[in-house]
Amino acid sequence: MRAGLLWLPLFVVPLVLHNDVVLTILVFTFILGILAVSFNLIFGYTGQLSMFHAAAFGIAAYATHLSMAHLGVSFWVGMAIAVVVVTAISLVVGTICFRFKLKEFYFAIVTLAFSEMVRLIILNWSSFTNGSLGINLTDKPTVWLPGETIVIEGTQMWYYLSLVALVVTVFVCTRVVHSWMGRCFAAIRLNDELADTLGIDVFRYKLVSFLIGNAGAAVAGALYAFYLSYIEPDYLAVDQSLAIVAMVLLGGRDTVAGPVIGAFILTALPHVINFSAESRIFVYGLILIFTILVMPKGITGAFARRSRVL
Amino acid sequence: MLQLFVGQLLNGVIVGTLYGIIALGVTLTFGITGIVNFALGAFMAIGAYTSWYLTDVVGIAYPVAVPLAVLVVAVFGLLADQTLFRFTRNNLINGLIVSIGLISVIQSVLLMLWTTTPKNMHYILPGVLNLDLFIVPKMKGVVFLVLLAVILATYAALTRTWAGRAAYAFAQAPEAAKLMGVRTGFLQTGVVVYSTALAGLGGALYASLYSLEVSMGSSYILKGFEAAILAGIGTVMGSLMGGIVLGVTEAVGSIFFPQAYRDAYGLVFLVLILLFRPSGLFVRTR
Repeated sequence: MRAGLLWLPLFVVPLVLHNDVVLTILVFTFILGILAVSFNLIFGYTGQLSMFHAAAFGIAAYATHLSMAHLGVSFWVGMAIAVVVVTAISLVVGTICFRFKLKEFYFAIVTLAFSEMVRLIILNWSSFTNGSLGINLTDKPTVWLPGETIVIEGTQMWYYLSLVALVVTVFVCTRVVHSWMGRCFAAIRLNDELADTLGIDVFRYKLVSFLIGNAGAAVAGALYAFYLSYIEPDYLAVDQSLAIVAMVLLGGRDTVAGPVIGAFILTALPHVINFSAESRIFVYGLILIFTILVMPKGITGAFARRSRVL
Repeated sequence: MLQLFVGQLLNGVIVGTLYGIIALGVTLTFGITGIVNFALGAFMAIGAYTSWYLTDVVGIAYPVAVPLAVLVVAVFGLLADQTLFRFTRNNLINGLIVSIGLISVIQSVLLMLWTTTPKNMHYILPGVLNLDLFIVPKMKGVVFLVLLAVILATYAALTRTWAGRAAYAFAQAPEAAKLMGVRTGFLQTGVVVYSTALAGLGGALYASLYSLEVSMGSSYILKGFEAAILAGIGTVMGSLMGGIVLGVTEAVGSIFFPQAYRDAYGLVFLVLILLFRPSGLFVRTR
């Protein structure tokens, strides 16, 4: 619980700091942080390199908008529908992959194939998704408080909404990781054949971790789409999946909240370094390589080791 | 209809050999070093841009420019191996991430040098081969034959020479190969460099047929993976066959199904193969 207090200063930031750029970076950090933290449940804790995370993210973005536009529901109901849709699709993909016992590279490739298929469908189903042009979103999420309805717009509102969503995500993931489910995840990551002989239902817990993780991605997708007010098929691109992996590796995969640091650095970096677009990609690539070769446990891992030495 | 069908079939075979040469690089690298080299597509782009630059800007004859481009790519491959891949051998995830970082680096350098404007090489060998039933652009025929020859030569080298057999031995039992006097570090470096050179060759030949974009490699590396898995990781002739199967499926498929889903056929194929015949199409299961 003490670790939970570390989040408190973040709630004060917008009160003292009125710099819109910094707050915007933080909003993106929080939303992408949700994505990275939920991915880490599948990758860091259960040891499955899923390439489906960007797909879950993108499907949710489209599902939220489409259910709002065609069913006339509010943002929150739309988000709930998106979570259900993503979970259902993940159930199918996950069942196929885990029933056939696909591991490591093969799991990565098959999930990649599934997410590419979804991307192609979204790209080409123009009547519904407007193809590669994407859709501009005009609706805004609202929050009801007794007596009044608040429309979420402007950086400060989004800051609190996304921060709360991130804290909830981290809390849920922490509970999961420290529960019996988390123990099963760790057993599967360390040695899934041994886990099987110990009576752990490997198929079931891989699937559970996959579903929870993707549901988190769905929440992030819905928020991201409406913060940006724009959705396009690139949400589901391979690059997006790789960016998520990069955030998790950079932040460190051994802690629940570590990936948030990775999300922060990769979001803030392009703004801090005022380079051209090309040099940004260059620096991004160098960071990836550097992280892997020099601190394979990520930033949190590097710090944890340092503090143990002292 | 028949003409269209045969034409597409042939197109598929030719594009398929391009997939095949990338698949061969994927298979060799993975088999010997345990690295999934996603950056092969980027090395292909280096090869393509170098051959375009040497031919169209510097003015060297194309047949000379291609080997030069391959050499340049091989040097970059050696550099990448010594500074990066050497440290990630047999670590799947780390190798994957490093190669992905390398893609960003290579692509951004290519962008800085030659911008996003697509580059078109002048026609090296204009004209078509008119065989009653179908017509093939001469250049495509040449590219096909060169790639085929290189893949066959690789196969021969792997099965007939000492180094090739050492590589096979190493793939089966690294420890034993080491004890038999195979210089394993040297072998691994050699294979990584050779794979990048193959990708470079694919790119250099690609440059004479299609227009160049910096991101051209990313679709080809995916196709290369699909082809390699289709065939079964570790088979040389299999990667050629896998590439051709993939190319033909796409080409013929686009006659009957919407063109937009062209990239999906390979994916569907891939998933089915991995689920029902994970060792690959061209590996005999015992």
